[in-house]
Amino acid sequence: MPQTRLLALLALGTALSGLPAAAEMPKSLNLNGATGLIDMPSGEAQEDARFTFSTALIGPVTRSSISFQITERLSGTFRFQVWRDWDTIIPGDDKFEDRSFDLRYQILKEGTYVPALTIGLQDFTSEGKFSSEYLAATKNFGERLKLTAGLGWGRMGSYGGIGAPFGDRPALPESDWGTPNVDQWFRGEAAPFAGVEYKISDQWTFKAEYSSDDYVLEEERGLIERDSPFNFGFEYQRGPNMRYGLYSLYGTEVAFAFHLILDPKTRATGGVMGAAPVPVKARPARTADPEAYDGGWVTQADAGPLLRKNLAKRLASDGIAIENLSYTATTAQIRIRSNRIDAGAQAIGRTARALSHVMPASVETFEIVPVVNGMGASKVTIRRSDLEQLEYAADNGSLLRQRVTITDAGPLPANAVGDDGLYPKFRWSLKPALKLSEPLKGDVGLRLAASYDIRPGLVLSGAVYKRVLGNVDRDGAYSDSTLPHVRTDNSRYSKYADPGLEQLTLAWYSRPATDIYSRVTLGYLERMHAGISGEVLWKPVDSRFALGAEVNYTRQRDTDGGFGFDEYDYDVVTGHVSAYYDFGNGYLGQLDVGKYLAGDLGATVSLDRVFANGWRVGAFATVTDVSTEEFGDGGFDKGIRFTIPLTWAMGTETRQTFAATLRTDTGDGGARVDVDGRLYESIREYHTQSLDPDWGRVWR
Amino acid sequence: MSAVSRLTAALAVLALLAACGSEKSEPSPMGAAVGTLAKATLSRMSARRAGGEAKTPAAPSRAEIEKYGMPILRAVIPSRGADALVTISDRKGPVVTWSTTDGTTFSLRDGVLIQTRGLGPDLMSARAPSLGQLRQNGGTHQRVYYFLGADDRTTTRTYDCTVQVRGGESVTIFGRAHATTRVTEECVRPQGRITNEFWLEGATVRKSRQWVSGLTGYIDLERVVD
Repeated sequence: MPQTRLLALLALGTALSGLPAAAEMPKSLNLNGATGLIDMPSGEAQEDARFTFSTALIGPVTRSSISFQITERLSGTFRFQVWRDWDTIIPGDDKFEDRSFDLRYQILKEGTYVPALTIGLQDFTSEGKFSSEYLAATKNFGERLKLTAGLGWGRMGSYGGIGAPFGDRPALPESDWGTPNVDQWFRGEAAPFAGVEYKISDQWTFKAEYSSDDYVLEEERGLIERDSPFNFGFEYQRGPNMRYGLYSLYGTEVAFAFHLILDPKTRATGGVMGAAPVPVKARPARTADPEAYDGGWVTQADAGPLLRKNLAKRLASDGIAIENLSYTATTAQIRIRSNRIDAGAQAIGRTARALSHVMPASVETFEIVPVVNGMGASKVTIRRSDLEQLEYAADNGSLLRQRVTITDAGPLPANAVGDDGLYPKFRWSLKPALKLSEPLKGDVGLRLAASYDIRPGLVLSGAVYKRVLGNVDRDGAYSDSTLPHVRTDNSRYSKYADPGLEQLTLAWYSRPATDIYSRVTLGYLERMHAGISGEVLWKPVDSRFALGAEVNYTRQRDTDGGFGFDEYDYDVVTGHVSAYYDFGNGYLGQLDVGKYLAGDLGATVSLDRVFANGWRVGAFATVTDVSTEEFGDGGFDKGIRFTIPLTWAMGTETRQTFAATLRTDTGDGGARVDVDGRLYESIREYHTQSLDPDWGRVWR
Repeated sequence: MSAVSRLTAALAVLALLAACGSEKSEPSPMGAAVGTLAKATLSRMSARRAGGEAKTPAAPSRAEIEKYGMPILRAVIPSRGADALVTISDRKGPVVTWSTTDGTTFSLRDGVLIQTRGLGPDLMSARAPSLGQLRQNGGTHQRVYYFLGADDRTTTRTYDCTVQVRGGESVTIFGRAHATTRVTEECVRPQGRITNEFWLEGATVRKSRQWVSGLTGYIDLERVVD
């Protein structure tokens, strides 16, 4: 085990520095995690889908940001900023924490004569401590020099203003904190800023800028003295994934920045790792060996168990378990559970290859049904002769896809060889778990999890978590929320439920009809709530659209992580109707309308961008009938979430991922029960829209 | 703990997440991939690390190789310092798949590379010239390579290629000289060019240098034992 870990660690190191750096001048990031100069933004955009994690230290101010290039032109940033020594001059808390969102849109891409032009909103929904709006233009001159000029409002309009073209900037009333500050946008003094980037070598860049941010807030608090509008510094690019910056800021401060730059589209390993598949087994020509095609074997009593055993042996090397096998002389249907391979298409390909070795020659049709939580997610029908013909053909992925049909899984065939002793029913794991609650806040702990399949689709599972180290809030005080404390007593759960029972449930998944999926989960659903949760989903295999409904009855659990319900006398019926739409190119939208945990009524909109390799980055916002005052500083529930597959980073063939949800502010409004195994995400992987983008992996 | 060291710690944790349980994931193939060819094949000849430092275990003699009594191909990938002797794992008509014992395969149609698996940046399939086309001095053809590209989507590279028969050349493989005809296949597309080279001995491609993929570069193949 330690060896594996060491290898994994080394692999990550190698992986992150393995690819050659691009020769062109990088579109670098600034101290705020946005594309830009040092403290000012630029007109450029990152490469599509670039995911960056930035940390900047500016004296007593720390800015940690996560940025994502949502489309080629649109990008977003989530920032967690801490001002330490906040009480230097004005008494109060010794630090101030603020979470903010930016959005920026590139209006013009750079051309021969036209500069890149970007319009941006910085910190557009919070208390306004970091709010700015800007227009920035950037033009490259040759391969080494880049000039930027822009106009800023808000903080970026606070020094060297040239007047207020769109009128005065009204103060931001406290009641508007957390909602889009539309009244402030582009109001008040506008001030120009400018800067230059010069590429010294492939690794080193020099930057200098004239900043239009007067640092009024920081001067007022005695944190940063601003003597000069000029900033300059050097940046060092280490491989394609890391960039460091060291700067002189405002004549008085030294600032440091680190950027981790990840490209979800490109595996750190350069390609899909894992051993080659076994070749397809070719059948003898029917004319040469007609006897091989005789279907008489079907009547042999021991054929089923033997075939199943041989298939199980072959598929085990790919982490695929057989849940069922049924056959006639000409058709075989195999129900599989893929535990390791991260792409549906590849799991299907490997299964088809195994079938070509094991099934007698008379079997011409392979029906492969991937099963998730006991539910058949889809049925992929492959003609065996196509498999044989196309194995070495050019563009065999597309050619095979044209001849394959993907349909509803349908019911389990009557003649199934259901020897369930052949797949593992009991599974357990003890793993380190990283729970991230903010870009630089989280807990590292150990999670012991186990599950037992009573029969396919009926699963008993549980998990216990023990924190090892971390810096999440654990003061154990009750929150001052005026709503039922369905989420805001988080610090109590963190403090007292350690170790704590995270989950203990009995879940029943089934397929009541074509295109319909259902789930009932009973027990300790999550660390704060227990009860019963029922869900139904309608999702045709080839449909972009899906509809679901969920109803839950839950009681709030004690904060000690045990089985009791004494601490809070709170129970509630919640439920949602959900619509899902796959816009294509990996963009998924979801709308949930219903009743939330605190009894509030409202809706959640979310948009995610998913990648074939398992990366996922998304944002969500919930508006309910809870007032912004009741909700707290955040105004309404909103945040971002991302999932990074470990196989992308390390090449290890695994379905494990690292996922985090980061909110601007946790309130009690707009909260939903966090139940495992929600249907849409469970089955989506094996539907057409998810199988098709990386279908080429069927031959991997 | 500084922010950066915290981040490093977080990354380390990310790397460590593969832990114990009943469902094991495969050990990281990154390390394996780098040395994959060298390690687990019939015999190791020389494994240079990426840095170029040569560790040279005694190279086997032709007699030792022939003792196995089976066809053997030598595969060298300069970009990853891999060098291995590989054997046949599948034969379907003109297509022969050669494989290392630890799961890397090369499929050749009449000696022309059409697929690889297990390298990571693999060649998934190819529209490649026939041996007949490669014998035609001045002949032209289109070559199409298919890969899993960004976000695992199938991507292609299409080249226009010209064949040039360069004439006779003697090639020595493990102490045995072969009289061959050297053929080059120059392929261009707007973004760049590649050159595949073949040394033909009768109907056999005795030796070749063929392009695999952007990150893998070229592979050198020598047919040691027929």
